[in-house]
Amino acid sequence: MTGELTPRAPRPLRSRKAPWVALVIALAVVVAVAALIVNLVEGSLYFYNADEAVEERSDIGDRRFTLQGSPIGCSIVEGFSDDAPVVAFSLSFGGSSVDVVHHGDPADLFQADVPVVLDGVWVEQPPVVEGFSGIANDGWHFSSDRMRVKHDNDYINDDEYDERLALSDAGADSTEVVCEA
Amino acid sequence: MSADAVNTGSRTTRLLGSAVLVGVLALILLGFFGAPEDDEQADAVRMIFVHVPSAFLTYAALATTALGSVMWLWKRSRWWDVVAHSSAEIGVIFCGLTLFTGSVWGRPTWNTYWDWGDVRLVTTLILFLMLVGYLALRSAGGDENAVATRAAVVGLLAAANVPIINRSVEWWANRTLHQKSSLTDGNLEDLTLFTLVVGIVVWALFFVWAMIHRFRIGWLEHQLQAVDLETALAQRRAEATAESTGEANQ
Repeated sequence: MTGELTPRAPRPLRSRKAPWVALVIALAVVVAVAALIVNLVEGSLYFYNADEAVEERSDIGDRRFTLQGSPIGCSIVEGFSDDAPVVAFSLSFGGSSVDVVHHGDPADLFQADVPVVLDGVWVEQPPVVEGFSGIANDGWHFSSDRMRVKHDNDYINDDEYDERLALSDAGADSTEVVCEA
Repeated sequence: MSADAVNTGSRTTRLLGSAVLVGVLALILLGFFGAPEDDEQADAVRMIFVHVPSAFLTYAALATTALGSVMWLWKRSRWWDVVAHSSAEIGVIFCGLTLFTGSVWGRPTWNTYWDWGDVRLVTTLILFLMLVGYLALRSAGGDENAVATRAAVVGLLAAANVPIINRSVEWWANRTLHQKSSLTDGNLEDLTLFTLVVGIVVWALFFVWAMIHRFRIGWLEHQLQAVDLETALAQRRAEATAESTGEANQ
């Protein structure tokens, strides 16, 4: 082939974008990876189980934290405090129990022996809710304002469920701590 | 290019598409009228038939993207690069659906749409953001090979997150709000389990159907770019030939 074949200035690429676009995306990926690592590290301290919360009460102090445990059926009392709904109950985990006053309506699936995850603070005084004496009864209670229910991965339709639930509510459940008569 | 060459449908995709439509219908009937309600969650449990299959197919899409990314980095195969890109696009839809259905399911059962302290929730969100970043990188433009290489690295980083998401409920067993695996560790009614498996099969068929279409679109785009380049070269050669012919005639 003959003719003019000297190199010419290259045509700009059709979709060429500013180099900062790639930089921003690279930065976003780095931030995502960093967030992943932070989440994994902090995830190990997401909540204190009841036994850990009791054991580390002095270290926790008046700091807001998240508590996890299973409500004890016979201890659950719903009432009002200054015209606002509260639910008082004791929960247990790892052989320790904690008296709880939750401010607000309980979660839809809140029930005995189904673990709950609560946000709140330690209060150094016994819970004052009419009809609730508390099982821990150690001069402290956990004041909560956010409740999540930690349901399991059993998806069962049991005809005897209502009967079991009634028994559970009556305190005849498998909870380690038994309510006093 | 002929009309056939731009049509991404085929007998196989039409059969797959029909199977998906029939499967979705069966899933709706089974999910709403066949499977029993749960003792604790009542009707909210039916969200499992969309949520779990979406999560499964997110994993499958990411595995495919990771395979395509490795093959691009290793063999510089454009075919595998298009596979990785196509799978990531479908994966971001499944991942978004997983987050959305999980959030909707969480409200009546956990009593919250979202919890920043839960490892599985946050790692899944990070996966979603990484997939969005992957697609943004793909659309940022620049040298085709360089974009493919950068995307492959991001794709592999995103895929590395998948085992963490999947195992998080085991590794943080007593520290997570999310329940353990429903399929491997759960206790499901027979019809609930059957409907769940139907959901996974239907979603898998949809994934294959969407992958074939998206791959063919990606491959046609690649071919179109190659044709554009050939055309530009031919035009340049024609210009040069015309100029030299003109000079010879003068």
